[in-house]
Amino acid sequence: MFKKFDESENVGNVNIAKSSVQKGIRSQILDQFNHIDDYLDQILPKKEPLKIVKCHEHIELLCNQSGEILFFRQRDGPLFPTLKLLHKYPFILPHMQVDKGAIRFVLSGANIMCPGLTSPGAQMTKVDKDQIVAIMAEGKQHALAVGFTKLSTEEILSKNKGVGVDNIHFLNDGLWLMKPIK
Amino acid sequence: MAAAAEAKPFLELASPQPSVKYPLKVTYCGECGVPVEYCENYPNYEKCKLWLEKNMPKEFEKLKLDKASAEEEGGADGGKDKEEGEEKKKRQTRGGKAMIKAKKKIEPQGIKLWTQTRGKKKKVTIVVGLASYEIDLKEASKFFAGKFSCGSSIAGEDEIVIQGDVKDDLFDILPEKWKIIDEDDIDDCGEKK
Repeated sequence: MFKKFDESENVGNVNIAKSSVQKGIRSQILDQFNHIDDYLDQILPKKEPLKIVKCHEHIELLCNQSGEILFFRQRDGPLFPTLKLLHKYPFILPHMQVDKGAIRFVLSGANIMCPGLTSPGAQMTKVDKDQIVAIMAEGKQHALAVGFTKLSTEEILSKNKGVGVDNIHFLNDGLWLMKPIK
Repeated sequence: MAAAAEAKPFLELASPQPSVKYPLKVTYCGECGVPVEYCENYPNYEKCKLWLEKNMPKEFEKLKLDKASAEEEGGADGGKDKEEGEEKKKRQTRGGKAMIKAKKKIEPQGIKLWTQTRGKKKKVTIVVGLASYEIDLKEASKFFAGKFSCGSSIAGEDEIVIQGDVKDDLFDILPEKWKIIDEDDIDDCGEKK
């Protein structure tokens, strides 16, 4: 989604969310992510206003007071955490580990193909279709991409062909390179 | 194939570890901005290594150790070593497209100053080149407006127009406000028609 994203071109205006909107977002975050309850106040302090940045293609970025981008979403879709946030709280998403050979392709924005998830170096968490997952890599500690599953884990195993997980946001893409929003 | 893969256990659903304090602190490389362990996948790995050696000698040592132990293992198992070499060859012929291109960094090219006459007796100052020092133009423009109590606007991609002739002041103020600018980098280009 952010492969060709450019801060100077695709970013619109910045708004501060109304408290009702903020409440909605908080409950959505609690709904979507595992184990985030205890840390939500750390990520999004209750008293601080939340900034919403509107971008092209109906993408919205949610930032905290200091301008750090925390979440993003397209239209009214699910909220995705940014990689910077995911690195800090790696447990909020189920992990999918790809093998070594896939790393460089993922890092240039390719979707994750099934064989990269089923080979000996890879490991999966059991998830359904249309779930947000963290893409980890064999022998690495930190996530390298945020993905959205196109097939359930069983389907990935049985089909073993084609795209298994869509690559939404990866290291060094347009969103990763964005500076904090003022 | 599928059956073999199925025998492998699934990962447990990730959960916070009680012994670890969150948020985690991830060290990012100063050269390419990704977590240090991913540097090797980027074209400027050599530069990254230099950066790592300079800024985080501990991590660098670890990296070296890892490599050494990996080599040792490879040495003990000769067949495996050979296999690896073959794999490398294969990758080279196959790669290309997946390689991430190195981005060119814009070198600072110095700052140019002009004055321009507006309506017979008034002047404006044009500043070009601030963006190449990675200075935020909007911030700079606001700073000028406040400093000189005048209007200041961003006129182009890398151009600020300050109302009034403030060229002489800029020579002192620019290096003072932004330390990366040297007074010798600032170039007076006279009057623009």
